[in-house]
Amino acid sequence: MNDLAVHTAGLAKFFGKTRAVDGLDMKVPRGSVYGFLGRNGAGKTTTVKTLLGLLRPSAGSAQVLGYDIRQNLVAILERTGFVTENKTLFDSLTPAQLVHFNQGYFPKWSGELVARYAELFEIPMQTQFSKLSLGNKTKVCHLLALCQGADLLILDEPSIGLDPVITDLLLRVLVEDHVSEGKTVLLSSHQLTEVERIADWVGIIEKGKILLETRLEDIRQNYRLIRAAADTAPVISSPDLVSVQSSENFRSYLVTREAEDFATMLRAKGMTILEILPVSLEEVFLGLTRKEVPCISGKPGTIAVPA
Amino acid sequence: MYLWKAWHDCRARVILYILATLSIGVLFGLQVESWANLHAYLTVFRGVHRNQWFYFDDFYITFTALHHALGYYGIWMHTFYEPRWDALGYGPLAMLLAGLSLGASGVGKEYGAQTMNFVLSRPSHRRNFVLVDWVVGLTAVVIIPSALAFPLLPFLFSVHAKGPGNVLGGLPVLWVLGAAIYGLSYFTTLVTGSAAKGLTLSAAALLMYGFLPTALHEWWHADLLLRAVEWTLRGLEDDAWPLSPFAWGAAVFWLAVAAGFLGASLAWIRFREV
Repeated sequence: MNDLAVHTAGLAKFFGKTRAVDGLDMKVPRGSVYGFLGRNGAGKTTTVKTLLGLLRPSAGSAQVLGYDIRQNLVAILERTGFVTENKTLFDSLTPAQLVHFNQGYFPKWSGELVARYAELFEIPMQTQFSKLSLGNKTKVCHLLALCQGADLLILDEPSIGLDPVITDLLLRVLVEDHVSEGKTVLLSSHQLTEVERIADWVGIIEKGKILLETRLEDIRQNYRLIRAAADTAPVISSPDLVSVQSSENFRSYLVTREAEDFATMLRAKGMTILEILPVSLEEVFLGLTRKEVPCISGKPGTIAVPA
Repeated sequence: MYLWKAWHDCRARVILYILATLSIGVLFGLQVESWANLHAYLTVFRGVHRNQWFYFDDFYITFTALHHALGYYGIWMHTFYEPRWDALGYGPLAMLLAGLSLGASGVGKEYGAQTMNFVLSRPSHRRNFVLVDWVVGLTAVVIIPSALAFPLLPFLFSVHAKGPGNVLGGLPVLWVLGAAIYGLSYFTTLVTGSAAKGLTLSAAALLMYGFLPTALHEWWHADLLLRAVEWTLRGLEDDAWPLSPFAWGAAVFWLAVAAGFLGASLAWIRFREV
């Protein structure tokens, strides 16, 4: 069996001249929680829709759970739970009726899980979907995906409308009931703290391309932010350098590994190392994806991403 | 699954139409029984175009004037005037309304409701959603005029042996006409992704179908299209089967139109992105 739940190679999706997904290479290991991160319009939702056959790829290839998305779509859908970004289901049906509608499609559907999650998430099962709050609508979407016995859960912005208590419950359910059973969770989200809490892999997408795909543990152990000062900015070139941010005479270097060696190189170029700090996922995300931003001084910082 | 959903979405309308047609059928049947001038009605079944009493009917005069104004008899008389004197005239009207509204309740409306992502991420071939919709829609299209016709049969048989035959003979034409209208509404809803837009486009297409040949005839004396349209509506005329040969050509034409819309819908949903 393929050890990747999702594997794309050069996957592309164009809308006219817009390259929404542009040569995406993505590897989601089976049994992992993969945080799929990106700014608005980076290509996350387009990628997810392409993986599920809702959009046809313009180029490249993709396998989900070992099945080619062009050849075996029904097999993929049978094994994949999907929560869409907009959290919209049939307005005229109640959650109980939505369960009735959905269960027939999935051979591994679990009625026991329906009862358990409906109680856990406090879902009003007999209220028409159109009359539910946004949070309850989101819960119903999760209920349907979680109970179908999927090998892969693709959750697009999973915590929209959820209060912190339910968000916490949901994340625990994902880890304790699903990942522990060897299932894979792909979280497409802006909520970096949620992703950081449960993900073991992250992929950061920008302009339809993967900028970074790594273990979260790797970021914690090896990624460092080096703050340095110098009158002039030396030209730095290193495969370990992720980004540079400048503010007057100060520079912040985000490096992937061997921070001490990198600092030694900066010192050799006449820079003074102020501090070397571990980084959060948010700092890595911002370092990779932000453009010019105003600094405290009011002057813009700059970012350079190595080719 | 989706069959349950499709039925859930349109059941209120189907039941309403069935109750309405049943009521009209029963009421009209009772009227036939108590009609003082039965002979006038029987002459219709015998193929005599109209009895004299008919021409003093104010409603008929109104529509005769309309007929002259529009220069076109066809479907307008059937849908607007004939419900007054012949319950079967309700058939095309019921087909028109039921076909349009049921077609607009197909899977195409899910685009507008933003639920197409959810529907198409269920593990089923896309064609199945269309086929299930059509099974439900065509079943309704068959049941609705039948609910009108069958309650009439015993009443009509009691006044004339040819009555039931006349009623039953019109049914297949109504079925295929209803299927075509359903197909039009279904396809336009699927393409536009909106029930409201689909209904509007379909209604516009039907209006054009009725008015364009008349306009061409009245303004440019071009009769070809008018004759073609009248040919397609032959099965709905007063002297339809068994008083005259069954309108196979018209029935096959509408069947082909319905099949064309089904094929187009299957092709469209296969390639449509969400």
